[in-house]
Order: sequence, then structure tokens, then C-alpha cells
Amino acid sequence: MILEAKDLNYYYQDGEERRYILKDTSVSFEKGKFYTILGQSGSGKTTLLSLLSALDSPNSGTVLFNEEDIKKIGYEKYRRNNVGIIFQSYNLIPTFTAVENVLVPMSITENEIPEDAKTVAYNLLDYIGIVKSKADRFVNKLSGGEQQRVAVARALATNVELILADEPTGNLDEEMEQEIIDIFKKLAHEHGKCVIVVTHSNEIALQSDQAFHLRKGVLSSYE
Amino acid sequence: MNFIKRGFLGITRKKGKTLILLAVIFILGNLISGAVSIQQATGNVEANIKERLGAAATLELDYEAVEDLSEAEWLEIENIGVDLIKQIGELSYVKYFDYSTSIYLGSESIESYQGDMEGEIFHSGPSMDYKLNGINYAPVIDFEEEKGKLIDGRVFTQEEVDNGTSVAIISKKLAEKNDLHVGDTFTLDNAVYDYDEETGEEELITSRDVVLEVIGLFEPQSVKEQQEDNADSGMLDWMDIEYQNTVYVPNEIVASENRYHWEEYSKMDEEFAKMMEEDENAFEYFMPMFFLNSPEDSEAFEEEVAPLLPEFYNVVNAMDQYDSIAGPMESMSKLSKYVLLVAVIATVLITGLVVLLFLRDRKHELGIYLSLGERRSRVVGQILIEVMVVAVIGITLSLFSGNLLAGQVSDMMMKANDNQDEYYEEYIYFGDTQIDLTTEDVLDSYEVSLNLSYILGFYGIGLLTILISTVIPLIYIVRLNPKKILM
Repeated sequence: MILEAKDLNYYYQDGEERRYILKDTSVSFEKGKFYTILGQSGSGKTTLLSLLSALDSPNSGTVLFNEEDIKKIGYEKYRRNNVGIIFQSYNLIPTFTAVENVLVPMSITENEIPEDAKTVAYNLLDYIGIVKSKADRFVNKLSGGEQQRVAVARALATNVELILADEPTGNLDEEMEQEIIDIFKKLAHEHGKCVIVVTHSNEIALQSDQAFHLRKGVLSSYE
Repeated sequence: MNFIKRGFLGITRKKGKTLILLAVIFILGNLISGAVSIQQATGNVEANIKERLGAAATLELDYEAVEDLSEAEWLEIENIGVDLIKQIGELSYVKYFDYSTSIYLGSESIESYQGDMEGEIFHSGPSMDYKLNGINYAPVIDFEEEKGKLIDGRVFTQEEVDNGTSVAIISKKLAEKNDLHVGDTFTLDNAVYDYDEETGEEELITSRDVVLEVIGLFEPQSVKEQQEDNADSGMLDWMDIEYQNTVYVPNEIVASENRYHWEEYSKMDEEFAKMMEEDENAFEYFMPMFFLNSPEDSEAFEEEVAPLLPEFYNVVNAMDQYDSIAGPMESMSKLSKYVLLVAVIATVLITGLVVLLFLRDRKHELGIYLSLGERRSRVVGQILIEVMVVAVIGITLSLFSGNLLAGQVSDMMMKANDNQDEYYEEYIYFGDTQIDLTTEDVLDSYEVSLNLSYILGFYGIGLLTILISTVIPLIYIVRLNPKKILM
């Protein structure tokens, strides 16, 4: 078990009333598998991902990474060393080139990074499908699919075992969506990563090793 | 791609933002630089003039404190006695000291020196051209302090001073005018006149000869130099004439002539005679002068001496007299202080606002760093690098232009002062003498220059101001929530 959520509760206080986004949510994830969390808009799936990636903290409950509470690890440190996050809107730095974007987390992490980080970054981009000539371009000169590939490369740059993605194909066409999903499957099955993707697409859910369904803050297995 | 490199990339990749920030810092830097330049220049003038004023101190009545006293209370004010002067003179801060008394005498046998004003001087009564300046410090303090220089003969011996021997040191010009040489004698008249208030006439009652042997000749130093620089200044001519007609003698000679004068005078004035009887030392007034080892000792000297003094007396340092001639400098210093304050506040507000706007514009980028687990301190560091590198460039540019600007502004203000004649009439009086420093000297010693203290001062104030104006909006980063920004 690489990641486990136990009794997560996340709510807003609305006067006397608590408005639950997540209620007593428990779920666990293993390495080498590609997971999807399916749900409608407002179902709480992005909130769950933000809790699993330590971008936010729950009102109660715990998230364990390799059986250690991420609060104890430290949210910042956990994000720095243990998780790669991919966003729907890519969230790349527009004034940097593709390779520079990949180099950023490599300079932030405390994980061991090969001395020639730039070569590693180029190789990583090449593996994801961004050739060197494109890797030296500013990211706002790349297409949406290419930008998302750069975002995937950035998530992998620190050699983490856990990849979390929030609607990673939401802005892409079908062809590009499939290419990205194929990369995720490859990362899980060939490289032993745990990939968790939040999506509202049944097609993607059907391709995952295990899918969960989130409805009104309650998580269940998706059949 | 660590935060330092990211900071530098932020400068080169966002050229528009960098140029705007540079322009803001350059413009505000000019204001700060100008103000700092003027501050430094006025500060240098103060230090320079105070150094020229020297580390001298005297004891004076606090005229403000005695202003409201009744006549009876006035008479009760103690004089500074010789014993107290000697006690103060023994303090470790004192290099040497003297106390003197003086009297003005006339002469029928010699002619006074009148310089370029020969024939222009109108006497409305008996002429008392010669100032008998008593001394107790045998080597003569005025020579030690280079007010005058002994060019022939010798100074007094302590024995001559103690015994009140009739010997004198006179100026070379007075000697030349009267063909006097070392070893010659000359005669002054201690004449006592009665003044008739109704007619305004003065009647000679009695007089006695004061015969003095010339043992040395002196030449004025500082007054002479000043005169060469300021040939038009009538005041300096007067100062020179008075000093050329000064006759240095032992204190006892002056005291004896003073006593004679007042004793003869009291024979005609009963009220005066009664006053003399009540306080026989009332007219033996000595002006003490203490020369300290260093100007830094002034404060400690003052603190130690103050408790020893009789009521209503205080210590006056020569350096304190700076204020009396520093009118234009003070107004310039004040103005630059206000400009500096306003410029610093404006810089903090404007730069702070500009940085905050840039941060808001870069909220997304900062959120990305935080989502990747970057430490907030390093994100703050990156922004600081971006701003401070631009600030160093902007401040370095304004270092020169602001200095140039300050020079121009100062010149304009100096020219404005040139048209205000009253400044030229400001002279320093210290003890019973006039110090040959004027407002013009103060203005002359003002110079806006690019020296190390200005450079360090400006960089210090400039960079600290920018740092403060950057740190305040950086609180914004500390409060950023990456989830709200990115998801």
C-alpha cells in the first residue's frame, strides 16, 4: 500500500450547518496500478485529490503515504519528495522553456537527482513525446497536448512513485486524450508507479485498473 | 534551476516588468541620492568647521538665566575665581589653559596701526586703540593655536608672568610703524576720564604712564590669510587692526592698571566707591580659556566641569558656536532631511505597490512553485533577488545622477544665499574674542562630492528602503494557497 486515506472529512461551516464535501472517505492505492476517481462536477473529486496531494488538509481523518501520516512528513516536504501532480490547465511557467519547466522540481526536491539534470530532463521529455527542438521552446508556443506532456514529464522529474492527476485530459481532444492515458498506463504497468487520475470520463475509467465513484462526498467502487 | 537562477531568469525573461521597476527605482533613487548627497555635504561642513573651531572651551554666564534677576541678585553672582580656573585646568581633558583680563589704553608717544583705513577713522572721544591682553600661560596660547606667530624675540618667562614684569609682545606692524625693536620700551597712557552726561564731554581727571619693554614681535596668522581671500570684507579689516594693536602682557599688569583706573574713578563717584568696597574682586574679571586634547573630550569636559561652577555659569564650547554661522547650511540640511524622509516614504509606498502588483500578476507562477513543494522562504528569496538586483542597478545609476542633481540644486541655493547679505555679517564670538570664521567660510567649505561615505550611505539607505518595500508585499506570498490558485 503506497497511499491510504482514512476517514477523511472535509466540510464548510455554513452557520450552524456543516456542508460536507467528503464524508468518512477511506480508500487505499497500490504501486503499479492505474486508478481513476470518477464523479460529476461538484462531487468532491478535486477536493479528494487536493487532500491526497497535500495541497489542502482535511477537517478530520488522515492520509498515509507508505504508512506514514503526510502531516507528520510535512505537507510541503511530501509534495517536494513523494508526489507528482498534474493539473487540468497544465500549470506550466510560461516564461520558461519546456525543459526549464521540467528542471524546476528537480532543483526543489531532496530526492537524488543525477548530476546532469538537463540531459535527464531532455530524455524524460523525449520519452513522453517531446523532442529536443520542442523542449527548448517556451511552453506557451506548444500545443495543449504537448503542454500536458511537459506537465507529465515535470511530475515524473523527481522520480516519485505517486502521480496524481486532476482532469489531465479535460482540455485535450480525443486523440490526445488517449495518448496521455497510454502514458499513464505505461507509467503504472511498466515503471511501477501508482497513478491516480480524477476524471468525469467513463472511457478513461474503463481503461483503469480500478475505478472509484464519488457521489455527494461518498466514495464507492465503480463497476 | 534553483531559486537564485529562477530569480535571474525572472529579470531577463520579463523585460517590461524589469524596466518599469528600474525606472521607478531610478527616479526615486535620484531623490534619495540627492538628499543623501546634501546631508553628507552639510555634515562634512559641520565636521570641517567644528574642527577649525577647535577643541576650546570657556566659562560664561548663562545670560538667559540671569536675564530676570534684580540688581541686588546680580551683585550676588559670584565671579569665576583663579583657583577654580586652575582646578579645572588640572583636569585630564585639558591640554593647556589660560585666563586673561584686558584693558584698552591710549598713547601719546606711539601711533596705532590703522591698515588700509588710515585717516578714515573718526574718534568721538579719547582714543583707546591698544588692547592690553593679559596672559597667564607664558608661551601664549594664541601662538600655540596659531592665531599669531612669534617672528622675533621671545615669549614670556613664567617668572615674568608671576611677577607681573613690565614686558610686552607687540605686532610686527605696530613695531614697524613706531620703529620699535626687541629690547626697546614704549609708553601707553592709563587715562581716567569723567563723563559729563549733560554736555557729553569727557574730562581728563588723571593718568599714569605704563612703560613696557618689547620682548617679542608677532604676526597674525589666520586673520591675515582670511584677509587675502576676502579683500573686500571690511569686518576682517577691523579684526586685523584690533589684533595688530593688541599688546600681550602678563595678567598682573592688566589687573594693576584696571585697579588704578577704577580706584581713581571711584574717587569721583561715591556710589561706585561703595560698590568697590563691598566686593574688592568685582573688577578683576578673568576670561578662562581651556584647550582640550581632542574635540571628542568636549562633552565629558562639560559634564565634569558643570558641577564645579558657581550658580548661573556654564561651559561654552567653541564648537557650539557653529550654529551661529550655520544659517544657510542648517536650512539646506533641514530641507534635505525632509526630502530624504519623503523620498524614503514614497519609495516604500510606490515600490511596494509596484512589487505587489507584479506579485499578483505572477500569482500563478508562485502557486506552481508552492505546489511543487518549494519552501516559501525560497520563493520569497527569488522575488527578493529579482527586485534587489534591479534595485542595485537603479541605485547605482541614480548614485551618479542624484549626486549631480544635488550639486546643481545646492549651487542654486548657494546663489540664492549670495543675495542675502545678512549672512555675511554673521561672525562667531567666543569668549571675549571674535573667531575669524564667517558664514562665507561655511558656504565655501560646502562641497557635494562622490566620496566613500556618500556611496556607502546612499547604498545603505537606498537598498534598505527597497528591501523594506519588497518585504511588505512578500507577506502576500506567505499567505498564498496553491490549491486555490491552481485547482
